[in-house]
Amino acid sequence: MPNQVTRRIFDFLKDIPPFTFVDSEEALMKIAERAEVEYLPPGTVIFRPGDPPLDRFYIVKEGAIDLLRLVGTEEQLVERCGEGESFGLRPLLAEDNHLFLARSAEESLVYAINTEGFKNLLNNFPALTQYLAVSMAGSNRYTMAPPAPTTSTTAEVPLVTSLLESQRLERSRLPITCQTTARIIDAAKLMTEHNVGSIVVVDPAGHPVGIITDRDFRQKVATGVRSPKDKVGTIMGKPVVCISRDKTAADVQIMMVRKKVNHLVQTEDGTDKSRITGVVSKHDLLVIQGNNPAVLIREIGRAKSAGYLRTLRERAEKMLATYLGQEISISFITTVMTQLNDEIIRTCMKLSLARMQAEGKGNPPAPFDWLALGSQGRGEQLLRTDQDNALIFEDVAPARYNAVKDYFLQLAGYVTEFLHQVGFKYCPADMMASNPKWCMPVSQWKQQFSHWMAENTAENLLNISIFFDFRGVWGDGSLPAKLTKHIFQELEGGRDRFLASLAQSALDNPSPLTFFRNFVVERSGENKDQFDLKRRVMRPLTDAARVLTLKAQIGSVNNTFRRYEALAKLEPQNAELYREAAQAYELLIRLRATIGLQRNDSGRYLKPKELSSTQRLLLRNSFTPVKEIQSLLELRFQLTFLR
Amino acid sequence: MKKESWLNKIWGYLPGRYTPDRAEWPEWYTSYADASAADRPPGKSLLSSARILVIDAETTGLDYRKDRLISLGGLRLSGSTIYVADHFEAYLPTPTELSAESAVSIHGIVPNSSRYVYDTEAELLRRLLLFLGPQGIIVGHHIGFDVAMINMALGRQGAGPLLNKVVDTGGLAERLQPAGYWTPPEKFSLDNLARRYRIPLSDRHTALGDAYITAVLWLKLTARLSDKLGRELTVEDVAG
Repeated sequence: MPNQVTRRIFDFLKDIPPFTFVDSEEALMKIAERAEVEYLPPGTVIFRPGDPPLDRFYIVKEGAIDLLRLVGTEEQLVERCGEGESFGLRPLLAEDNHLFLARSAEESLVYAINTEGFKNLLNNFPALTQYLAVSMAGSNRYTMAPPAPTTSTTAEVPLVTSLLESQRLERSRLPITCQTTARIIDAAKLMTEHNVGSIVVVDPAGHPVGIITDRDFRQKVATGVRSPKDKVGTIMGKPVVCISRDKTAADVQIMMVRKKVNHLVQTEDGTDKSRITGVVSKHDLLVIQGNNPAVLIREIGRAKSAGYLRTLRERAEKMLATYLGQEISISFITTVMTQLNDEIIRTCMKLSLARMQAEGKGNPPAPFDWLALGSQGRGEQLLRTDQDNALIFEDVAPARYNAVKDYFLQLAGYVTEFLHQVGFKYCPADMMASNPKWCMPVSQWKQQFSHWMAENTAENLLNISIFFDFRGVWGDGSLPAKLTKHIFQELEGGRDRFLASLAQSALDNPSPLTFFRNFVVERSGENKDQFDLKRRVMRPLTDAARVLTLKAQIGSVNNTFRRYEALAKLEPQNAELYREAAQAYELLIRLRATIGLQRNDSGRYLKPKELSSTQRLLLRNSFTPVKEIQSLLELRFQLTFLR
Repeated sequence: MKKESWLNKIWGYLPGRYTPDRAEWPEWYTSYADASAADRPPGKSLLSSARILVIDAETTGLDYRKDRLISLGGLRLSGSTIYVADHFEAYLPTPTELSAESAVSIHGIVPNSSRYVYDTEAELLRRLLLFLGPQGIIVGHHIGFDVAMINMALGRQGAGPLLNKVVDTGGLAERLQPAGYWTPPEKFSLDNLARRYRIPLSDRHTALGDAYITAVLWLKLTARLSDKLGRELTVEDVAG
C-alpha cells in the first residue's frame, strides 16, 4: 500500500498535464514514489541559462516560479508558472541546456519528478508523447486549441448552418407531376388541388425534364408572356437539379445554394435519367431544421408575447450549445446570435409600440433610435446578460420637450420590461433607456459625450466603455451616425489627454499574469475566490481595441474582432499582436459561453477548479496578449509618465 | 532545543525508570550507541548538509508511562528537499488492555487492523535506529513526548535512550514569534501553525501525514530563521 504522502503526490499529479495523459494508476504511482518535495524560499534560483539538464523537472505544488530570459543584464519574464504547472522539462527532452533562469517568485513548494522514470513512460503512452511534442514545439501558443474553423464570410453562412443538419432526407414529399404534353392551366389546377408550390414535368418513362413553381406562374403567365393554354414546356425551368435519396439536409442545402434553386428533385440514381421519387423545397428544409437561425429569426419577428420570445431565445441557446460543441468559428456564432438578439429587441419594440397605441398614447412624436450598448452594441453577446441600452430622439421644440420625453420614457419602460421577461435582466446600474439620464435628444447626447471626453473621471471612463460601443437597433436609423460624427469632431479638436486617460483605464485591470498563481481571484464579495473573466481579461482587450481605433480615427467599427482586424491592416508591424489579441478574445468568448451554458448563468465568474486543464491552459495563454497589448498602450500613449 | 536536552537528562532520574547497563543492550543498540559516540555532527556545520529526520508517533494515549506507540512515521530531509521515497513507516499491535481507548477517534487507526503490517517493538526500534543513524537530527512537533515514548520502548527492550540531537518545531515557532503571557498554549499546536504557515492539513493524525506537515513547517520555519539571522543556519542554531 502506498504511503499517504506518495498518495497525495499521486492525487495531485493525476489531474494535471502532462500526467493526465498517463492513464495507468500503476505507472503514475511509480512516478509519484520517486518524486521529491522541494521547498523554495522566495528568490531561490533553480536553474540558470546554460545549465545542463538536471535529472529532474518540476511541478509547482504551491507558490509561483518565474521563468526569465536574460538579455544582457536585463531579465524578461517569459512565463510565471503557478500551481499545477510544470517547468524544466524541455531541456530534458531536447537534451539541450537550459535557456531560462528559473527563480521562485514567492515561497513555493515544488515536486521534483525524476526524469529517468518519466522517460520510460514516453514509450508506453503515445498521448503523453504527443502532448509534450505539441507543447514543446511552442511555436503557437494556441496549439492546444481545437482546430480553428475557417473564417466564415456572410456568403458562407447558410452552408455552415446546414452542416449541423446531418439527418437524412429519407422522407421527402411525394412528387406531383405532369406530362410534357400537359397545358399550363392543367398544371396550375393540379398544384392548387394538392396545395403545393411546385410541379415536376416528366417524360413518359417518369424521368424529370423540368419543374414549374409558383414563381413561374407569377413571372411568365400572370404577366401575359404566356397563355395558360400553352404547353408546360414553355414555362418550365430546366434542366432540373437532381439528387439521390441518400443525401442529407446539409447536402441539399449546399446544392440549392450552389445551383441557386429553391427546389430539388430526388430520383432513383440521383440523375435526371431515372425515375422521380420526391421533391425537396427550401421551405421543407426550414421545417426540418427547427433550430436554424433563419427560422428562429422569422419566428422571433412573428412572436406576439414575451413568453414565446423567451422560449425562442432558449431554443437559440440550444443552437448555441451545438455551435460551441461543433467548434464553429466564433465570428460566425456572434454574428448569428447578435442578429437573434437584435430581432428580439425589435420585436419587444413592436410589442411596446402596440401597447402604447392600445393605451391611446399614439405614435412616436419624433424620430428616434434604440441603441444597444456594451457587448450587445459590439455584437459580441452570446448569452443573456444584463441589459445595457439607451434611446436617442430628434431634438424637438422646447414646448414639446417634456411630452416627447415622457412618451419615450414610457416606451422604453415597456421595452425593458419585455426584455426582462425574455430573460435579459434589468441592468443593476440602471444603464437602460428607461432611465431619464439615458433617454435624451440628440443635442443632449452630444453634450453628454463631450462632457465624458472632457472630464476624465473614473466614472466617466466607465460610462465611455459602455456607451461608446453604441449601435442603433431599431428606429429612424439616422441618429446614431450623428453621434458618431460628433465624437470624431471632438477628437479632431485635440483630445490626447482623453485618449491617454482612456488607455490608462484599459490598464487599470492589471494583467492576471503578474499575480499569484494562475488566476487572480476576487478577494471579497459574493464572487470571492472566483476569477472574473470579464474584468480581468475581456475588458482589457475590448478597452484596448476601442481606444486604439479611436486614436486611429477608424469610425463605425465597434466590434472587438473587427477593430483588431482593422488595426492589423493599419499597422502591419503590430499585425501579429493584434491577431493574437483577437484570437485570445474569441477564445474567451467561447470559454465564457461554454461555462455560462453549463451553469445557466452569464459565465462571467469562473472557479479555477471547475475548468478542465486544457481550458486552464488556454485561458492562461490568453493572458499573454493581454499583457502585450497593455504594454503597447503604455508605449503609444506614454502612460509611464502618468503613473 | 534546550527543553528537549533538559528532558532527555531528566528521563534517567525519573523514579521507576529502569536504565539498562551496556552489558544488557541488544546488539542493534550497541552499534548505534558506538557510532553515535564516535561520530557526533559538529555544531558549527551547516544545517543544510545535515541529515534531518522528521518523525511523528501515534500512541494509545498521552501518558508516556502507561501508553504505547502504535505507529511511527518519518521522512528524511536534506537541505530544502523532502526525500519522500526514503521514508519510515511502521505499525505496532495495540496491547489488549489499551485497545478500547478514545485515541482511535483521533488517529483513526483501528487497533490490530489487518490493513497494516505489524512489527514487533524490538524490530520497529531496530529499523528506526537504522533510519535515524547516529548523525541524524530528529525533528518533530512537540517532539519531547514522541522521544519519551520511544525511550520508554527502548528501555523495555533493554536498550538505552535515543542519542540524536532533537529539535522541536513548536519551540522553533515560539522562537520566531515569542509568546506573550497572554498567548494561549494552543497557538503553537501543529494545526494552528500549519494554518499560519499555509500548509494544507491533509492526512492529519496519521504518523506519516503529520510528519509531512511537520517537515514542510520545518522548512518554512528554518527559512524564516535564516532570514532573521541574515545568514545560513548551522546545526547549533537550532539544536544547541
